[in-house]
Amino acid sequence: MAAGVAAWLPFARAAAIGWMPVASAPMPPPPREKRRGQDGLIILNVSGTRFQTWRNTLERYPDTLLGSTERDFFFHEETNEYFFDRDPDIFRHILNFYRTGKLHYPRHECISAYDEELAFFGIIPEIIGDCCYEEYKDRRRENTERIQDDEENENNKDLVLPELSFRESMWRAFENPHTSTMALVFYYVTGFFIAVSVMANVVETVPCSSGPNRAKEVSCGERYALAFFCLDTACVMIFTVEYLLRLIAAPSRYKFVKSVMSIIDVVAIMPYYIGLVMTDNEDVSGAFVTLRVFRVFRIFKFSRHSAGLRILGYTLKSCASELGFLLFSLTMAIIIFATVMFYAEKSSSASKFTSIPAAFWYTIVTMTTLGYGDMVPKTIMGKIFGSVCSLSGVLVIALPVPVIVSNFSRIYHQSQRAEKRRAQKKTRLARIRATKSGGANAYLQYKRNGMLADAEEEASKEAGKSLVCKINPTFETQHHHLLHCLEKTTNHEFVDEQTYETNCMEVSLTKPSMSRSSSLSSSPHGLSSCCTRRNKRKSFSVSNSNMVGGRRGSIQELSTIQIRERPMSNSRSSLNAKFEETLPLNSEEQSYITAAVISMPTPPVTTPEGGDSASSPDFLQSNIVRVSAL
Amino acid sequence: MPPASMLIILELFCSSCKDSVEDELELSAARHRPEALEQLEAQTRFSRKELQILYRGFKNECPSGVVNEDTFKEIYSQFFPQGDASTYAHFLFDAFDTDHNGSVSFEDFVMGLSILLRGTVQEKLNWAFNLYDINKDGYITKEEMLDIIKSIYDMMGKCTYPTLKEETPRQHVEIFFQKMDKNRDGVVTIDEFIDCCQNDENIMKSMQLFENVI
Repeated sequence: MAAGVAAWLPFARAAAIGWMPVASAPMPPPPREKRRGQDGLIILNVSGTRFQTWRNTLERYPDTLLGSTERDFFFHEETNEYFFDRDPDIFRHILNFYRTGKLHYPRHECISAYDEELAFFGIIPEIIGDCCYEEYKDRRRENTERIQDDEENENNKDLVLPELSFRESMWRAFENPHTSTMALVFYYVTGFFIAVSVMANVVETVPCSSGPNRAKEVSCGERYALAFFCLDTACVMIFTVEYLLRLIAAPSRYKFVKSVMSIIDVVAIMPYYIGLVMTDNEDVSGAFVTLRVFRVFRIFKFSRHSAGLRILGYTLKSCASELGFLLFSLTMAIIIFATVMFYAEKSSSASKFTSIPAAFWYTIVTMTTLGYGDMVPKTIMGKIFGSVCSLSGVLVIALPVPVIVSNFSRIYHQSQRAEKRRAQKKTRLARIRATKSGGANAYLQYKRNGMLADAEEEASKEAGKSLVCKINPTFETQHHHLLHCLEKTTNHEFVDEQTYETNCMEVSLTKPSMSRSSSLSSSPHGLSSCCTRRNKRKSFSVSNSNMVGGRRGSIQELSTIQIRERPMSNSRSSLNAKFEETLPLNSEEQSYITAAVISMPTPPVTTPEGGDSASSPDFLQSNIVRVSAL
Repeated sequence: MPPASMLIILELFCSSCKDSVEDELELSAARHRPEALEQLEAQTRFSRKELQILYRGFKNECPSGVVNEDTFKEIYSQFFPQGDASTYAHFLFDAFDTDHNGSVSFEDFVMGLSILLRGTVQEKLNWAFNLYDINKDGYITKEEMLDIIKSIYDMMGKCTYPTLKEETPRQHVEIFFQKMDKNRDGVVTIDEFIDCCQNDENIMKSMQLFENVI
C-alpha cells in the first residue's frame, strides 16, 4: 500500500458512503482525528542546497529521520531551517521518495555512498522501486563480493572449514581443483594421463621403420604392441579409479550417472574391457577394431579441464534447431542438384555420375566450394548446372551461418540475463508478496490488538512488521477504519491465510447456520455497565495467548475462539444474563455462536484512558445491539 | 565471409527501424487543466484551502489532470489489498464520471466529493442511488443490486470469516429488497429508496460518518 496514494484516502473513505444503504451491520465509529497542525513549508538546507517541501509530505513516513522529531536535532535557529551536512545530490532522491512514495537509485552514484545516506536518513533500501531495484541489487552484490574477495585474500591460509564429511570434501576436491593441493595434483595427473592416452592412440598408427627382415612397414602399434598395451592398461586403470572415486563421492549418484561427463568416462574405458574379454574370438576382431575408435573419446575428458570446451558443447546443444535447419536446407539443395546433374550427365559416355547418390558426392564437394575434381561434368548442360550449383552453394551455406552465430551470441547473453533475472525473481516476488501481505496483516494485527487511536506507538510497531516504512499512524487508523466499515457492510471478517485454511476444514465438518442478524435488544444499561468495565481491562480475553496485555478492544481473533466450544474465561461468566440466553439457542453450533457474541464493536476508539462512562453508553446503545449468529 | 557480415549488419539495421515507427504513433496523453479556483469554490462546498489540498493530491497521482478508468482502479485497489476492488471501482468510476466521457477530471472528482462529504443527507442518498443504478434508468433492479453487492464482496477477498458462499450476495440482495421495495414490484425507485433510508436509523447515522475526512 503506497503512501503515495495517501492523498486519495479521503476519497476512498468518502466513497464508502456507497456501502451504507446495503450494510448488514452498523458501521464502526470513525477514528478520532488528530489535531491538524498548520501545514507549512519546511526548508531543508543540505550542504548549501536548499530544498523546500510541505511538512505533511515529510510526515508521511514517521519512521524516518525527516518524518519524526529526530529532525529537530538538525534545526538551525539563526536561519530557521534544518541543516544537514550531507550530499545534496543523493538527498534529492531521498526527498523524492517522500514526495512520490518511490525510492530510486541513481546509476552513477557509488553504492556505498548511497547506502550510507539511506542509513543516515533512516530509510530501508528494500523499498527501492521496481524500476531501480535490480540495478541496486546487482551493484550491492558486486560490492559485497569485492569485499569478500578482499577478505578471502587476507586470510586464505587459515581457512578452516567446519565439518565437511570426507565424501563431501572429496566431491568438492573433484569439482574444484583449486581447493586443496591434493585436488590440484589429482587434476594434473588425470590431465596428463588423458594426454598420454590420446597421444598413444595417435602414435600407434604411425608406421615405424621396418626391421631388416620385413618386407612391408608396420605401424608402431604392432611393433611395440606390448609397450602400448601396458600404457593403455595404466591409463585405463587410472581412469577407472577416477570414475569409481567420483561415483562414490557424488552426492546424487543417479544424477551423476546420467550426466554427460560420466557417460564420456564410461565410453572412454569400456573398449578396453570389452577388448580384454573378446581377444581370442576371430570373428568379432573387426568389431574389436571398431571399438578402438571409441578410445578417441578420451579427448572429451578434457572438457573437465577446460571451461571453453564446456561452453562450446552447451551452445551447440542450444543451437540444435538452427543446426538442424542448416542440415535440412543443405540436404534439400543436395538432392535437387544431384538429380539435375545426374540427368544432365546421363547422356555423356563414361561419366562418373552413375546414379543420383553418386552425384551427391559431387554436389557436396561443389556446394562447399571444395572442388576435388574427382568428378567433373562433361556436357554443356552439366557444366551450366554445375556452376549454378557452386554459386548457390555459397549462398545456402552463407545464409544460416550468421543466423547461428547471432543466435549463439543472443542465447549466450540471454542465458546470462535470464539467470540473473531468475535469481532475482524469487526475491522480487517475495518482496512484493511481503509488502502486500504486510498491508493486509497490518490490519489483522490491528484488529487483534484492538482499535486504538491513542497508543499508536505500540500499535503501529506491532501492527505490521512489514518491509515498508511505517506510514503515518493517522493514515493507518483511517485506512483500518475503512476496512472495518467494509467488514460491517458485508458482515464478514478479514482473516489471514492460515485461519482461512483451518476454517475451510472446519466448515466441511459442521454446517453453519445462515440465520443473519438476530438482533437482540438487550437492555442497554446492562450492556453499558458490563461493557464499560470491559473497556478498561482486556475484555473477552478468551484466548490469552494472542492478546497483548492491557489492550482495550473487543474484536477477537475469531479463529482462536472457534476452537473452543464454550468460552471459559471469567469475564464471560460475569456477562449479562441476556447473553447467556442466546448461547443455548443453537447448542450444536456453539462455536459459531460464541464467535458471534464476541464480535461486537465496542467503541474504545474515542474513549480515552479515563473512560468517560457518559460517552460510552451512547455508542453502545446505538451500535452494539446486533448479535449475529454467523 | 563478406556476405555473412553484410547480412548481420542488415539484420541489426532492420530491427532498430521497427522501434522508431511504433514510438511515433504513441501520442502524448490527454492533458487537462481544471477551472479556476474561485469557480470551483463557488460550485462546491469546499474552502479554498481544502481545494488546494485536494488538487495537490489529485495531481500527484495523475499528472495529466484526468483519471482514466485503469488508473482509478489501480488507485482504489491499493486500499483493499486482500480482495479484488476493480469491479466496484468501475461502478464508482461511473458514478463520478457524470458526463460519461470515460475520464474523471478534477471537477468531477471535487463535485462528487462535495456531495459525499458536505452534502445534505438527501444528496448523499441520491448519490448512492445513482451508484446502484448501473444503467441510470431511475430504477434499481435485482440484477443491478446483485452486481453491486457482488463487487463489494469481491473486495473482501477470499480469506474471510465466515467463508463467503455462493448465495451470500444473493441473500444480501433479498434482504435489501425486502427492506426497500415497498410496493413489491421488483424494482426500487428513488423515492422508495430515500424514504426507506430516512426511516432507518443506522443508515442515517452512518451517513454522517465521514463528515470530517478532509
